[in-house]
Formats: sequence, structure tokens, C-alpha cells
Amino acid sequence: MSNLDLSKISLRPFKLSDVDDFLLWAGDDQVTQNLRWKTCGSREEALAFIRDVCIPHPWRRSICLDDRSIGFVSVYPWSGDDRCKADIGYAVAADYWGQGIATKAVKMAVPQVFNDLSHLVRLQAFTSPENKASQRVLEKAGFLKEGLLRKYTYFKGNIKDSVVFSFLSTDEFPHDDSWK
Amino acid sequence: MERDREESVDLAQISLRPLQLSDVDDLMVWTTDEKVPKFCTWEPYSSKDQGIDFIQNKACEFLWSRAICLHDRAIGFILMTSCSATDQSREKSVELGYVLGSKYWSKGIMTYVVKQVKKVAFREFPHLERLEALVDAENVGSQRVLEKAGFHREGVLRKYLFFKGKSRDMVIFSVLSTDLNHQD
Repeated sequence: MSNLDLSKISLRPFKLSDVDDFLLWAGDDQVTQNLRWKTCGSREEALAFIRDVCIPHPWRRSICLDDRSIGFVSVYPWSGDDRCKADIGYAVAADYWGQGIATKAVKMAVPQVFNDLSHLVRLQAFTSPENKASQRVLEKAGFLKEGLLRKYTYFKGNIKDSVVFSFLSTDEFPHDDSWK
Repeated sequence: MERDREESVDLAQISLRPLQLSDVDDLMVWTTDEKVPKFCTWEPYSSKDQGIDFIQNKACEFLWSRAICLHDRAIGFILMTSCSATDQSREKSVELGYVLGSKYWSKGIMTYVVKQVKKVAFREFPHLERLEALVDAENVGSQRVLEKAGFHREGVLRKYLFFKGKSRDMVIFSVLSTDLNHQD
């Protein structure tokens, strides 16, 4: 495992010119298997997805390494009376797994999100019980595991349990300097 | 002398039936009582028009609902809503809600009713996988109802809802269709 310099990781909005980098990870079943996203099958699909979904999204950022897209972080706020809460999701290209990138990206995103979404009180995340790596990302990023919700949601045709995590506007960021 | 409070209720006299316009005066007893909606999103009613509006226009919007009756007089209300209204991925889940006049609290009535409705839910909706309920973390009485009625307490969702000017921690409970096979 190489020691990636995490200071090269940044978050920024998606651009159409990200398409080729985007396809490398959004076209990979390994990456999309835990997302509600359908795997991108072509450059045209990837372009349409960036243009029609990623760019107009309320809060979606590309995770970049030296400004090249290697993943995403998304926050989707609820509406009306429920705009106190929002759902966070993320993914990283498989080649870059195991190096703390998703954790770094989530840690960078959290303060930005609470700054950008004025009514937000609760950021929540739902993971599959089997997806231990994703649960570790959330724990290291300072989220609290609240419980296991049984047969909570339909996911790609199957009813699944979900582990629910949250980070509140009043929670403290983890005390190490990797969140900077 | 507080004879009413000491009277226990014969649970065999508790029944469920659709709410009717003729129940409006009985409905106004619990909807005007400040203690009752303390942990609900709605404020106590101040006029009978609100009661009529609820019976005529709101009660029918729920996926399923019934008046909780004692000697066929309405003393409360129980309802189910589909979780797919707010989240399309949750069409196999239904949320339970209920309310009871405060005079009838702590007599085992709500537990008895929830136990019945739990079975009704899975019978009425054969594709239902999960029946859930969310209770304010401070509403210990209602949490006890669900525990005694056989629901699993899954965790506390911090500041999950915001109403009456305050963020609320909500305890989430569930019962699955597969749980029922192992219960009474």
C-alpha cells in the first residue's frame, strides 16, 4: 500500500470534462454495488449522468486527486418539515481503496455541508451491515452509530437491513489533524 | 374522589372501528386535552370545526385507521401510513401511530390495541415486511407500550424530527412479518 499524501485530496463540483475519469469508477460494478446508482455503461451515459444528475444536484462534489475525479460525496437534504436532516453518500474508485480517502473526503465535506445547508441539524448515513469498510469511514469521520434497522429498505430489488449513523450540527469533529 | 382513575377497564369492551362524524364530541375530548398531543406534531384543537375536518378530510387519507372504542364510544385513534410516501425505496414498510385520551392511560389499553393492530397489519397488507413506530425519546409511556406489544427497539435517531420549535430525538421500533411467527 503506497502512502498517499492526503493533502492532494480535494472536493469540488463536477464538470463535464470529468467524464473520462468519472467513467473509470462510475463504470465499475465494484464501486457501484453499494450505491443506488446504476453502473455507467458508456461515455455517453457518464456524460448524461454528470450533466443531468451530478451538476444540478443540491450538494454533490467530486473527490479529486490532483484535481482528477476519483469518487464523489453527496448530501441530499429532505424537504419541508424534514429539512433539518440530510443523507450523505460517497464512493471512491476501487484502485484507491484502503488509503483513507473516503474518510478524508467525508471529514472535509461535513463542515462544508453544515455551512451550506442552513436548516441542517442532522446528517445521516445508511450502510449495509456487510459493508464494514464504509462503516469504518463513518466512525473515523466522527459519526455515531445509532442502530440496525431491520428490513428497512429496498436496494436493487432486495429488501435489506440498514445500519444508521448520524453527525449533528452540535457534534464535535474528531480530534486528529487529518480532517483539515 | 378520583374513582375514574382507579377504575380498571375490561379489555373485552375495547373495540376498533372506523371513525365516524358522530364521534366528533368524543374526539374533541382527547384533541383538546393538552397532555395528549404533547409529543405529537399537532397542537390541541380549539374548535369543533377542526374535529369535523379531521374526521371528514384527514382520517381517510391514512393507509389504514380506526377509532379505539370503549363500549363503542371513541376514546382514541390508531393509524398506519405507508413509508413510501416519503421514500420510494420503503414501500414494504408501514409506520404506526396512535393516540389515547389521557383518562385511559396506564390501564393496558394501548398495549392491548397495538398487539391486535400488529396482527391486523400483516394480514391486511400481505406484502408488508416491516411495521415501524417512532416515539419521542422523552415519551417513556409510549415506548413501554411498544416494548410490551412485542416491538424491537432498534436505536435512537438523534434530532430526527423538528416540530413545535424543537429538535426531537426519536426512538425507532419495528416488528417484522417474520417476528410474528415467533410470538403470541
